[in-house]
Amino acid sequence: MTTVTETPIAVPVVAHRPWWRGKIVQSGAIVAGMWIAYRGWGGDHPWPNGLVWNQLTFKLDDFQAWLIEKRLTGGGGLVFSIFDGFRIMCDHLVAWFFDALTWLTWLGTAVAGTLLAWRFGGLRAGGWALGAFAAFAVTGLWLESTETLALMLTAVGLSLVIGVPLGIAAGRSRRFGRWLTPFLDAAQIVPAFAYLMPVVLFFSIGYAAAVVATMIYAIPPCIRITALGIRRVPVNTVEAAASMGATRRQMLGKVQLPLSRRMLLLGLNQTILFALSMVVIAGLIGGGGLGAVVNSGLFSNPALAILAGAVIVVMAMALDRITESVAERTDPARRHLDAPAKRRLRLQSLGVAGVITATVVVAKLLGVSGDFPDYSGVRQRAVTAQEWLLGQIQTVLDYVQDPTSFVFQITEPVGNFILTELLLPLQGFLVEAPWFTTLGGLTLLALVVSGLRPAVTTLLMLGLIGFLGVWALAMDTLSQVLVATLIAVLIGIGLGVWAAESRTVSRALRPVNDVLQTLPQLVYIIPFIYLMPVSIVPGIVAGVLYAFPVVSRLVERGIKDVAPDAVEAAGAFGATRRQVLVKVKVPLAGDAIMLGVNQGIIMVLAVVVIGGLVGSGGLGYEVAQGLVRGQFGQGVIASVAILALGITLDRVTQGSRSKRKESME
Amino acid sequence: MTDRRKRRKLGLVGAAVVAAAVLVVAVPTAGGARQASCGDVVLNENSWVGSTADTYVLKYVLEKKVGCKVKVTNITEGQPGFQAMADGKIDVVMEDWQNLPSFPQYTKAKKVVNFGSLGITGVIGWYIPRYLLKQYPQFKTWKGLKGKESVFKSPESGSQGMFLGGDPSYVQKDRALIAGLGLNLKHVVAGAEPAQVARWTQLYKQRKPVLFYWYDPQYLNATYDLVRIQLPKRFKGCQDDEKKGGDPKKYACEYPSYPLDKVVSGKFATSGSPAVKVVKRFKWTSADQNFVANLIAGKKMSKDKAAAVWVKQHAKQVNAWVK
Repeated sequence: MTTVTETPIAVPVVAHRPWWRGKIVQSGAIVAGMWIAYRGWGGDHPWPNGLVWNQLTFKLDDFQAWLIEKRLTGGGGLVFSIFDGFRIMCDHLVAWFFDALTWLTWLGTAVAGTLLAWRFGGLRAGGWALGAFAAFAVTGLWLESTETLALMLTAVGLSLVIGVPLGIAAGRSRRFGRWLTPFLDAAQIVPAFAYLMPVVLFFSIGYAAAVVATMIYAIPPCIRITALGIRRVPVNTVEAAASMGATRRQMLGKVQLPLSRRMLLLGLNQTILFALSMVVIAGLIGGGGLGAVVNSGLFSNPALAILAGAVIVVMAMALDRITESVAERTDPARRHLDAPAKRRLRLQSLGVAGVITATVVVAKLLGVSGDFPDYSGVRQRAVTAQEWLLGQIQTVLDYVQDPTSFVFQITEPVGNFILTELLLPLQGFLVEAPWFTTLGGLTLLALVVSGLRPAVTTLLMLGLIGFLGVWALAMDTLSQVLVATLIAVLIGIGLGVWAAESRTVSRALRPVNDVLQTLPQLVYIIPFIYLMPVSIVPGIVAGVLYAFPVVSRLVERGIKDVAPDAVEAAGAFGATRRQVLVKVKVPLAGDAIMLGVNQGIIMVLAVVVIGGLVGSGGLGYEVAQGLVRGQFGQGVIASVAILALGITLDRVTQGSRSKRKESME
Repeated sequence: MTDRRKRRKLGLVGAAVVAAAVLVVAVPTAGGARQASCGDVVLNENSWVGSTADTYVLKYVLEKKVGCKVKVTNITEGQPGFQAMADGKIDVVMEDWQNLPSFPQYTKAKKVVNFGSLGITGVIGWYIPRYLLKQYPQFKTWKGLKGKESVFKSPESGSQGMFLGGDPSYVQKDRALIAGLGLNLKHVVAGAEPAQVARWTQLYKQRKPVLFYWYDPQYLNATYDLVRIQLPKRFKGCQDDEKKGGDPKKYACEYPSYPLDKVVSGKFATSGSPAVKVVKRFKWTSADQNFVANLIAGKKMSKDKAAAVWVKQHAKQVNAWVK
């Protein structure tokens, strides 16, 4: 829907208006009208059956059957051959990577990884690498971790190969960028569960399918951020280069790419984090590794699932920090090497190569295995580190699962309160209000807040939802998305403002964000259900925890980017720090906050299926069921409805920002 | 000048080290020989614990008694699992609950072959904790629920009673059943199985009333004392696929029982591997499965160890499979 921007925000010119034309008053009036209609005719007017296209489900199911038939009989021809080629390449790439890591032996892999990170990224990077390998070993999940590592490196690499050129193209051509945006939106909002099935039919099961599913989710941020980086190269620099006769290629290679270096790296980091957040879903279709451990652990050994989830987080953070350090160290703008420094580096490289080779040779001679040894086989009674860790996690889980515990006495009433006072009334309102007032009301809201075109889109999207026959389910999901977004935005704005004012908070938030973005949601939400055993609430919590870090990051950036002269001017007038914040910075960062709200909605929608798996029902459950029961039509329809909801919410909340957004694109 | 010479020397040493490494590594891999009577077999473990038990016992038997090299995958059931079998990526799925509409397509194309019963009959139904029967003995059958639905009320069901639905991947028709039987119950979706278990065990531990979709064999049935409510007997033309819609009265009968089948890929079935006949003969009971499942999920024993414990206790039965 929107791109993350850092552009300093222009001071808005506030036109004078009579109070009754204010957006807030008008929106309030619309909602009040909808409420009155709900009180009057609640439950009397569900979406009429005459306006539903019932046949679609069957048509989609037929399509799937046809696809399976083609696949089974080998009658797919060229299309399948192309996919097969890609599949075989991917399978081999990952398998080769994994084999190489195993072949090096665990010792060789750890030494090579650590030393390489140290050589190119410095001490901190080396430390992160060492820490990550230690985590793989201590948890007893060495092989699983290296398998996931091989899978993720391949997926990230291929994502960059596709994403960066597309991003550059989108950055240089506004038209191409606009053309691409809807696809990126769809890739980010449509739940992965919905496209797993087609992915499986085209790419079978295994590494290739896992890589493709991961790429679909990880490429969009890569394209978006790259495009943004290219676009934000100062116009005068580009013009200066052009006036000196630079060709298009020279312009790209010597001006645009080097100057957008930092953004490109941000793109790399985000690609890594997005990819790592797909490990568990990839595990469902043959990704293996840690994802498989989490999936089977959820049912048989939750402590193990949590442990594997933690390893995924460690891997994500290490990859993120290492790439960041490497990028900083190799930044040509900061790097001025003299002759002795160059020599030192060369010696370092040689030393690193030597030590790695020597280690591998010795390890091979000693017969060190590819897997980190599990001593429990040797000493039956010895408690391995993994068992100890699992024991600790289990203790916490046992406490959480005990309904007589002190915590439960607090969490249960809180959960019940949120459900009965907040969620159920809103759900009743949206699901039972006459369909035409909801449709009309939301369209009017879009008109008031964002203008005519967004209103038309809203009308079409809501109409589509009804037409697909999932109106009630979608309204159910909408009520949950609204509540989750509201909470996420409140938390996000609070933390974002605080982080913008305090460096300590900003630093402390970063690992929290990383954890929440990459820790598989089911891993922490299922224990959470024991604390708040009511439907919907755990799903809301999953949405809030996934969305608020993004909101807070955008708000923080927005406030930090408020033009310094405005802040200085206020200071010159004798404003206190608090006044500066409340009266200058926050109002001027209004657009960034709106963007935060908007992104928050997208993130909440991205976990709707997870919500469905922990008791939220609605569209999320339909999508999940569509996959596992082979109900293709059901899954696709629910996914399209989620996408339509996402577009609707985006249009209603995008406000006047759209105008400025267009000027940036 | 000396600098350059030094560098060249270092380079030579480096090259020598690399060459030595390659030699050292290449030699042992060339001489490796494996007992290759059975070859690789890929088993797929489904997400419920019963399936884990089946899979790991078979894995133990194939590895220790037949000499196969077994790999266990965790492909999700349903479409992905069957497509994987069709593509020859998975050889064996031990416990199929027959809930995939496109199953016939796969068997017709001979990509998936049914290898017969696992020896276990799956039962699906409405369950309550046994302690409820003390106060409400009439809950033995569904008729006893009529008028007493509010016993099961919860914050999310208002004045109605709450019925906790099952995992999205399982066969269900509870909404239609509730409507067809005219019960004042609200069907509440609890999500995936671990989420549903969290919901009802929490109520069970507090000795509160709870009514939910559940099944057997399931290892938790050993820990929690549950009773299956008697639903109306099956009649001719009774429907089970809720998605087909229509009059809910047509659904108002108990779930059928499901003889659980072993299914294998067509490739494996015709491979002639000694593992084939072992899979074909593999048969055990719900009690066996629950015993192993409880070791794994209840006692947190490692999956391989739990399988070994059972196999050692049932040497005779296992020998009949492999002979």
